[in-house]
Amino acid sequence: MNKPYILLVEDNPDDIELTLRAFEKNRIVNDIVVLRDGAAASEFLFDRIGDGRGLPQVILLDLKLPKISGLELLEQIRAHESTALIPTVILTSSKQEEDLVEGYRLGVNSYVRKPVDFNEFVEAVRQVGLYWLMLNEAPPTAGGGL
Amino acid sequence: MSEPSEVTLADATTDAAVLQPNLALVLERITDGFFALDADWRIAYMNPEARRLLRVEGDPIGEVWLEAFPKARGRRFEREYVRAMRQQTPVQFVEYSATAECWFEVKAYPSSDGLSVYFRDVSNRIEAQRELEHNARRQRAIIDFGRAALGGLSYEQLVEDALDVVRDVMEAATVDVYRYDPVAETFTVTASAGWAAGTAFDPKRPPLEHLRHVVRFGEAFVCADLAKDPRAAELAGLRANGAAGLIGALIGTPYQPIGALVVATAQPRNFPVGDVRFVESIAQTVAEAARSHEAYQRMRQVIESIRDAFVSFDRNLRITYVNARMARFWGHTPGEMIGMPLQELARVAGAAAESVMAALRATIEQERPRTFESRFDGSWYEFRVYPFSEGVAAYVRDITKRKEEQQRIIDLNQELERRVEERTKQLELANKELESFSYSVSHDLRAPLRAIDGFSQALVEDYNDQLDGRARNYLDRVRKAAQRMADLIDALLGLARVARTAIVYRNVNLSEIAASFAEELRERDPSRTIEFTIQPDIVVKAEPHLMRAALENLLGNAWKFTRNVGVARIAFGRTSEGEIFVSDNGAGFDMTYAGKLFGAFARLHAVEEFEGTGIGLATVARVIHRHGGTIRAEGCIGSGATFTFTLPEHPDGAAL
Repeated sequence: MNKPYILLVEDNPDDIELTLRAFEKNRIVNDIVVLRDGAAASEFLFDRIGDGRGLPQVILLDLKLPKISGLELLEQIRAHESTALIPTVILTSSKQEEDLVEGYRLGVNSYVRKPVDFNEFVEAVRQVGLYWLMLNEAPPTAGGGL
Repeated sequence: MSEPSEVTLADATTDAAVLQPNLALVLERITDGFFALDADWRIAYMNPEARRLLRVEGDPIGEVWLEAFPKARGRRFEREYVRAMRQQTPVQFVEYSATAECWFEVKAYPSSDGLSVYFRDVSNRIEAQRELEHNARRQRAIIDFGRAALGGLSYEQLVEDALDVVRDVMEAATVDVYRYDPVAETFTVTASAGWAAGTAFDPKRPPLEHLRHVVRFGEAFVCADLAKDPRAAELAGLRANGAAGLIGALIGTPYQPIGALVVATAQPRNFPVGDVRFVESIAQTVAEAARSHEAYQRMRQVIESIRDAFVSFDRNLRITYVNARMARFWGHTPGEMIGMPLQELARVAGAAAESVMAALRATIEQERPRTFESRFDGSWYEFRVYPFSEGVAAYVRDITKRKEEQQRIIDLNQELERRVEERTKQLELANKELESFSYSVSHDLRAPLRAIDGFSQALVEDYNDQLDGRARNYLDRVRKAAQRMADLIDALLGLARVARTAIVYRNVNLSEIAASFAEELRERDPSRTIEFTIQPDIVVKAEPHLMRAALENLLGNAWKFTRNVGVARIAFGRTSEGEIFVSDNGAGFDMTYAGKLFGAFARLHAVEEFEGTGIGLATVARVIHRHGGTIRAEGCIGSGATFTFTLPEHPDGAAL
C-alpha cells in the first residue's frame, strides 16, 4: 500500500462514520485507514517502519482511546525518527486546556475540536484536509507516496 | 598665767631668811594668790590677790583656815593640805572652788612652822579645755553618726541614733524629730527622746511658729532661755514641760524641707555656735538618710510590687537584695538571704544553676544585659539580667505557662498542618476526580450529541426526497436540542473551571475589557442601537481570566436583555463607594426573584424570550466570591437591571 493515505485513529464508530462523511463531503478522496485504539495504531505504524511500506500522509488522532491514549501515541510518533515529521492533527471532543497544551508540547501540528454541529465539523475537516493534504509540502521522510 | 611668779615662788622658798626683807613686798605684788598657815592652821598671811579671789572682806589673819573658808571642808583642798603638812611634801592640784566659784591651780609648800599656799584662777583654761573636749566629742559624734548613716542601719534606727547622740552630746532634756507636711504646713512629731513618760510635750500643740521660721529660712532657731525670749510666747507648753534652752534645726533645705530636729535643755544655756552647728549637722545627715530612705523605699516598693522575682548580686555573686517573691521561692525571708553566695543556692538548684551562674558572670564581665530561659525543677524561668557598677541584677519570671502554651501552639500548628496536608491531599484527589469527570463530560457527553446532530443532518441531506416538511422540522428540533445541550455542557464546564482556577492576583483593567467586549457586542448585531458608557481606568487586583469571564457575562446579559429596547443603554463604572456596576435599561426582572438569579440553571425568562444557559450569572457570582467580593442585583420589570459587585482592595490581607 504505497498510495498516499490518511490514518484516522478513533474508537467511536459514530465519529468514524461522521468523519468519513465529512471527508466525503469535502471530496477528499485519499485512502483512509481507520484504527480503533492506540495500541493498534502504534503497531500499524511500527510494522510499516519495519517493512518499508508507506507511512500515512497525515495522522488524525482522537485523544481518548483504548489501551494507548492519543497523547501517548503522539509521543511515540514524535520519538521515532521515521515518524517524527508526519503531520499529525488532534481531532477531539475535548477542549481542556491541559490537553491542548500537552498536545502542542508533544509536537502536534494542529488541534481541532470536533464541534457538535455537523456542518461546522465538515468545515473543520475541510480546513484540515485543505491545509495538510493539499497545501502543505510533506517532509521527505514522511509517507506521501513512498 | 605668769611665768615670773613661778620664779618668784622658787626664790621665795630657797632661803626664806635671806629673802625675808623683800618677801612681804614681793608677795604683795605677785599676781598669784598667796596665803600662809601656821602649824595650828591659822592664817598667818594673805596677799591682796588671794583676798580678792577668795572674796575675803574682813581681816582673816589669825583665823583658823577651815573656819574662814568652811566650804573647803571635806574637799580636796583640805585633803591635800593635810597630806602636805603630815608628809612634809609639796602638793599641786587643780580644783573647783565653791567659795570663789572658779577653778584654781594650787601649789602648797610645807615648812616646819606651817604651809605656804600659792594659787591662781585657771577657770578660762579649764573652760577652754572643756569646750575643746566638748567640741571633739561633737566632732566624734558627727563622724560616728555619719558612718552609721552610711552603714546598713534602717532609717528608723538611724533616727533613734540621732536622737540619742544629740541628747547625749548636748546633755539635752529632750530631742524631737518633726516631719513637715509642705501642703498643710503642719508638723508632726515622728520620734522623740528624753522627757519622762507623761512629760513629753503635747503633740496636739506643736511649737509651730519657730519651726515655720526654721523651715522658711533654713536658719536654726536658737533660744538661750525660753522664759526670757519674747519669741517663745507660743512655746508656753514647752516651757511648762520644763524646757529652758532650745535649738531647732532644719532637716532638708528651705526648698525641700523634710522636717525639724528640736533640742531642748532643762536649764537655760548660752549655746555656743559649735552646739548649733552640731545640731544642724546631725539634722543634715538625717535629711540625707531620709532622702535616700525615701528613694530606697520607692525602689523597694517597685521591686516588691513587680510580678517578677528580683535579686541583685555584688560582683562576687553574693546577694545584695532580694524581693519577697524571690525569697519565698527559696523558702527564706529576704533578710536571711542578704549576703548569701549564689553558690549556696546553686547547690540546691543543681545543674541548671551552673548555666545561670555562668550567664550572670558573663553579664558582669561583658557589662551587657541579656535575657535567657532556664528549666529548673520542672518549671521554665525567664531571666532578664542587667549589669550595674556594683554587680548584677536579675528579674526572674516563671514562664512555664507561656512555654506550655507555646508548646501547645506548636503542637496545634503541627496538627493543623497535618490536617491541612491531609485535607489538601483529599482536595487534590477530589480535584483530580473532578477534572477527570469534567474531561469525561466534555469528551463523552459531546460525542453522542455529535452523532445525534451529524446523523440528523445526514438524514436531511441523503434522504431529503423521502422526508416531508414535518419530518424535517422534527430533525431540525433534534439538532437544535443537541446544540443546546452542547452549550449547556460547555457552560457547566466553565463554571467548574472557575472553581478550579488558582487565583493569582494581577492588575486587571476592567474598563479595557469592557470597552473591547462592547465593540465585539456591537459587531455581533450591527443593526442594534446601543449606547455604551464605560468609565475609564477601573483597575482591580484580580485573576484576569476569571474577571474577563465575569465581566463579559454581565455585559453580554445587558446586551441580551436590551434587545427589545429602542435605544439600549449599557453602563459600566465605579460608584464613589468603590462598588463596580453594570447597568442596563433592558427587560429587568422582578426583585422577588432576585435571590434566584445567581443559582445555576436559574432563569427568570423563557428560553424563547431570551436564550441562555442559566449558568452565566452563577459563573459571575462564583468568580466574585472566589475573589472574596460580594455581588447583588437590582432591577424592575421593564426598566432595566443593575449588577453591583465589590472586590477586596487588598486580597488575602496582603499589602500589594
